[in-house]
Amino acid sequence: MTRRSLVITLAGAALSLACGDIASPLRNDFYEWRLEAPSPWGVGVDTISFHWPADRLPVRVWVEASDPLPADFTRAIGIWRDAFLYGEYDATVVADSSTADVLVRRGIAPGPQLSTIRLNSALAPQCSGATDVSLSDDHLQLLLPIRIYIDANSAPSTPGLEECLALTAVHELGHSVGIFRHSPNPADLMYFDPTVDLPSERDRTTAEVLSHVPATVEAVHP
Amino acid sequence: MPRAFFLFALLLTGAAPGLRAQTEYYARLGAVGASNLLHDVIVNDLTLRQSIAPMIAIGGSLPVGSKGYRANLEATLATGGYHRNEAGSSFDVATLRTATLMLGLEGPLWQRIRWRAGLGAIQYWPANDEGIFLDGGTTRLLAGGGVDYRYPVLAKWDLMTSARFDYHRFRTGTLEARGFSQTQGVSRVSLSVGLSRSVR
Repeated sequence: MTRRSLVITLAGAALSLACGDIASPLRNDFYEWRLEAPSPWGVGVDTISFHWPADRLPVRVWVEASDPLPADFTRAIGIWRDAFLYGEYDATVVADSSTADVLVRRGIAPGPQLSTIRLNSALAPQCSGATDVSLSDDHLQLLLPIRIYIDANSAPSTPGLEECLALTAVHELGHSVGIFRHSPNPADLMYFDPTVDLPSERDRTTAEVLSHVPATVEAVHP
Repeated sequence: MPRAFFLFALLLTGAAPGLRAQTEYYARLGAVGASNLLHDVIVNDLTLRQSIAPMIAIGGSLPVGSKGYRANLEATLATGGYHRNEAGSSFDVATLRTATLMLGLEGPLWQRIRWRAGLGAIQYWPANDEGIFLDGGTTRLLAGGGVDYRYPVLAKWDLMTSARFDYHRFRTGTLEARGFSQTQGVSRVSLSVGLSRSVR
């Protein structure tokens, strides 16, 4: 290699290094997150996609003062916030339930009501969870608050109960982020009966993607 | 590199009396703007960019040779936010501080204008460890240059106006962990004005 060609090669390498851009990962491994609700007009189904708009962040989460729910949901908020790169989601625990966007209660979910869609989760013997999402009659509004129920099916000293409650908190909060369906993959936190306690890469990608797809419903307090 | 900065800073502050008399110090206030920190595609194209941020700069220089060249050390600190641009909308993300330290050389250009060029480092300090800074800030190598214009206002003091351009490659540990490859070239431009203790 002559000196001239060496200089040209080095200059070319320096130029490509200086001009190249960061390459983002492909985000094509995600699952269906959209809710399917029977159309109010009687024909077919409506596909509902939702994410919290920037002007509604941080999402206000009220948590019943029943240990270990407050600590579990504080942790769950951090886990979902950290799943995003660009500030798409944030939440804070609030003391006033009347203005909260998400309500978390301990106990068995009450009987389903009209216009409420229930996402049952976590069929572990120690605990279970459910998230209720309400839509307006025309399916253009998400009626707040989103209601989360966490129930300990077993005595406080039952082995694995603590882990079950913590996992279920992260899973149910994932529904309130906008993942309105369950993952078909058992390795995902948003699987209907999850065994992992943190969002998988697929969960994270799904959450990222849904946050950039235009929402079909607007969150409103009735 | 840090040792060189340290030694030079020691020289500026604790030099022998003769050398100290030839040491020039300055402080400036201004603003800095930067190009995109990164480009990503999540359904839509999106970019992340720092807002134009207020900046403070301090520095000093020592003579090198007899042709008007000086070696200089300059530090800057800027505090601002960064935002996401997506589908024609802009969303504030978080607060971000950047600090730079550059060791360089300066010389006469034309009349009261002097050129400068240098190498150093830039440190990103996010207010919170979140988003692309989930694993904390990052330090990157920095190269830059600029021009200074000095206008005497007092016996020992000059009004100093400076324009700077610098360049570095940006990436964070979080981005690497999330599958981003290569780095993003980030250019920054700053304008500032301040006072310089003259060595006339």
